[in-house]
Amino acid sequence: MINHHPKFELIQAFVNGDLPASLSAGVAIHADMCPVCQQTIAQITEQVAEASFEEEYLDRFIVDDIEALDAVAVIDFDHMIDDIVESSDISVALPKVEKTISFNDKTYTIPTALSNMELGKHAHIGKLTRSRIQLNENEIHTSLLHIQPGGGVPEHTHKGFELTVLLEGSFHDESGEYVKGDFIMLDSSHQHHPISTNGCLCYTVANDALHFTQGINKLLNPIGSFIY
Amino acid sequence: MQTNLLSRPTSAKSTSMSDKINHPQLCQWLESVATNRDKVAFTHLFHFFAPKILRIARGKFPNEAQANEVVQDTMSNVWRKAHLFNQDKGAATTWVYTVMRNVTFDMLRKIQGNKEDNLSDDIWPVAEKMSCEDEVFEDHLANENLLDVIEALPQAQQDVVKGFYFREMSQEQLAVHLNLPLGTVKSRLRLALGKLKVQLGEQHD
Ligand SMILES: [Zn+2]
Repeated sequence: MINHHPKFELIQAFVNGDLPASLSAGVAIHADMCPVCQQTIAQITEQVAEASFEEEYLDRFIVDDIEALDAVAVIDFDHMIDDIVESSDISVALPKVEKTISFNDKTYTIPTALSNMELGKHAHIGKLTRSRIQLNENEIHTSLLHIQPGGGVPEHTHKGFELTVLLEGSFHDESGEYVKGDFIMLDSSHQHHPISTNGCLCYTVANDALHFTQGINKLLNPIGSFIY
Repeated sequence: MQTNLLSRPTSAKSTSMSDKINHPQLCQWLESVATNRDKVAFTHLFHFFAPKILRIARGKFPNEAQANEVVQDTMSNVWRKAHLFNQDKGAATTWVYTVMRNVTFDMLRKIQGNKEDNLSDDIWPVAEKMSCEDEVFEDHLANENLLDVIEALPQAQQDVVKGFYFREMSQEQLAVHLNLPLGTVKSRLRLALGKLKVQLGEQHD
């Protein structure tokens, strides 16, 4: 059963459209598998929408500088309407075609939220395989990370955050067992050493390289940026 | 601007009913745009939503032209995608909000130099994909043969089949959306189904 969910604040930011694509997709992937968060998102969206389109609400909270009001008057709404209704185009929603990806001869379905993202080539190191997702979000790196049975990521910490959404399989670390759908957000106060006994596929977002903390593994630090 | 829309005091809800949103009216207009391409209904929707969208967009975009673009794009998506709105699944305001948020998200990504990749509709689907319908939908799609066979149909028949099965539009709705006489829609659907049966039958031997 899913045990780890995004914090309420994160869901709020998700609904407002304030998160980067990487984290937005992370929340969407989790919600696809989590009826609880799905419902929370639906409720918040309804409230935010209602509030956004309530006259009085806008008057109270939106900066009402003269300029903004002028702008409202300046746009030629009638012209815009004519322009829009002139088009007879209809957006026909095409049936979703499921996309898949293979790691070590196992095939996985790519979550809908990622279906139009560009995936980089597979890179291997030990039992880990990583495919970078090309989102161009500067210091934020997003990947699909596959761990073969018995594989793991050496004990590490990171200066920023590290999000892992478990797409398939399971892994465990010092804090317990994680299963498909879990949304695991760690910050620099966490130090962990995930191991996957039976293998897993994760969606990962991190805004800084990993920092390996233990003994000989410190030698791995140069590859910290490789994994996430 | 990071407007915390939820910080609204709960008491605001009980202020006066006069400024409350007339949801049934909005729904009706949206439905009318969807089924009749009703320009008058769209004009009503436009006058209700556009000024509000503009003011919200001006909070997110420093540039006036960009804020205008949000209005233009959101409202033309409302015009082109109205048939994807399902009033059993939520309020019209929620749906328009989703369309607006998605337009804003894709535009911000473009402006910030990330990428012009329009990811928003994958992250926040505008067409409700939900429980019951979704299962039917998935069932069809699970059969990849079926999709292949549909793809092989002439375009005109494909449009009808996809609208009918995947969007669950009625034949009447399809006629309006595809701008075809009802009879044509019916005969195309019949033709296409005939072909599908033959092809699938053959494949299943
Ligand atoms: Zn959840």
